[in-house]
Amino acid sequence: MIIESRELRLKHRIPVVKTEKFWKGLEGGRVYKTICKCGRSYYPPRADCICGNQTEWVEITGKGVVECFTVVYSMPSGYEWSKPYRIVVARFGDVRVMGWSEEDVFVGDEVSLYTAKDGSGIWKIWFRKG
Amino acid sequence: MKVGIVGVGCSKFGQRDVTIQELAFEAVSEALKDANLSQEDVELSVVGCVGTRGYELMPAVVVNEYCGFAGKGPLRVEAACATGSAAIYSAYSSIKAGIVDIAIAIGVEKMTEVDTATSAAIGGRAGNYLWEHHFYGTTFPAYYAMHATAHMARFGTTEKQMAMVAVKAHRNAMKNSKAHFQKEIVVEDVLNSRIIAYPLKLYDCSPISDGASAAILASEKMITEHGWDPIWIESIGFSSDTSNMTMREDFVGLKATKLAAEMAYKRAKIEDPLKSFDFATVHDCFTIAEIMAYEDLGFCRKGEGGKFIENGESDFGGKIPVNTFGGLKGKGHPLAATGIAMVYEVTKQLREEAGKLQVDLKHYKALTHNVGGTGHFCWVFIFGR
Repeated sequence: MIIESRELRLKHRIPVVKTEKFWKGLEGGRVYKTICKCGRSYYPPRADCICGNQTEWVEITGKGVVECFTVVYSMPSGYEWSKPYRIVVARFGDVRVMGWSEEDVFVGDEVSLYTAKDGSGIWKIWFRKG
Repeated sequence: MKVGIVGVGCSKFGQRDVTIQELAFEAVSEALKDANLSQEDVELSVVGCVGTRGYELMPAVVVNEYCGFAGKGPLRVEAACATGSAAIYSAYSSIKAGIVDIAIAIGVEKMTEVDTATSAAIGGRAGNYLWEHHFYGTTFPAYYAMHATAHMARFGTTEKQMAMVAVKAHRNAMKNSKAHFQKEIVVEDVLNSRIIAYPLKLYDCSPISDGASAAILASEKMITEHGWDPIWIESIGFSSDTSNMTMREDFVGLKATKLAAEMAYKRAKIEDPLKSFDFATVHDCFTIAEIMAYEDLGFCRKGEGGKFIENGESDFGGKIPVNTFGGLKGKGHPLAATGIAMVYEVTKQLREEAGKLQVDLKHYKALTHNVGGTGHFCWVFIFGR
């Protein structure tokens, strides 16, 4: 015999105050990393360098190179709205960036990034060839 | 002061229609019987449980009560899929520090009580929710699939080589009564199974299983008093890596495995693992994970893992038999139970009680390699008898 538990629904309010420039940047078509005068670069960006200094915001531009990818067919809850999607990690200089691609990009391909809303209305990073 | 394993237990893995505490008790009662002890003899209980799929949000106290250990701890530990090893380490450390002489490490996980899409969403959070899953819907298979595409592109590793890992796992699991899968498969079955996250297909992935395991550890002093014939913990190595996959240097291996192995080998003065161990249990949550483990543990050079399985080097009679019990892929991977289940299988082998799966022993030495997430945690233990 099997019984059902009572439902527990978790939806979190996430403060992104210290990285607001990144989140606002996505809406304006810009993707930022942060750098510190100690020489460290961060992507995902963070306001606090591990050395104790505050970091500075720098836009990621130019071409990246794909280092790995996958296409997700067995989708997690929260992504029921999507068709199978391609997740790509590309290297842009001293940082690596994750994004989606609607084009069939492969390891070694040169890509550029842009931002757009996905089917659930969330702004995110996308890659295109060249 | 040395520390040894004096009793082990493991439930049958698979979809199990019992509660988390009932499942844990199956492993605990077997371990107590194996060591010829009762609950009163155990001074500390360590309960490993990831617990993110469960309705008992504080599972350690629930498990501890049911198993008869109320008042003995519990210490709850979590290190994703390496939780079991972290539990062993906690019990080991308490004995090593002289705080207790006998401790039990329990690993238990109920994974089949939620639907698959929910399970995928929880597994996909095994990294960094805010910067990865939130935007891109990463799943646990997706993280390893990205390592697979990197490995294939750099070294020419093939989907067929990955499939061979699954075939070996199923073949061994058929001879293990505790294993989730009891079905032989061939390479074509793997290649033709549905894609989960390209290039990983259904049969490249370990199943979603319920399971529990337990190990009783004791100090050398207590072992002498009781006259046990223990499996000694000879060396422990550990490491970890960034939560964000994008902060890693490359995707063709797990740095945490390399660092944990280096630490464990150095402490045990192991120069060549192939000449030191009779067999190994490695963390094959996905087929590509076993191929990367051969390389990162030093069984072959980086990039040659595909050839290693293809040439049968990790099978019975090969350079080092790997996952003779069926691995996570064939036996199942109930997160927190996995690391201690590895210790269970190693103990059976080193005692020469592994039946049809018994390896010929020369060195009476073996290793376990237990990864949490995608190299977010890693533990390498060396055992000897």
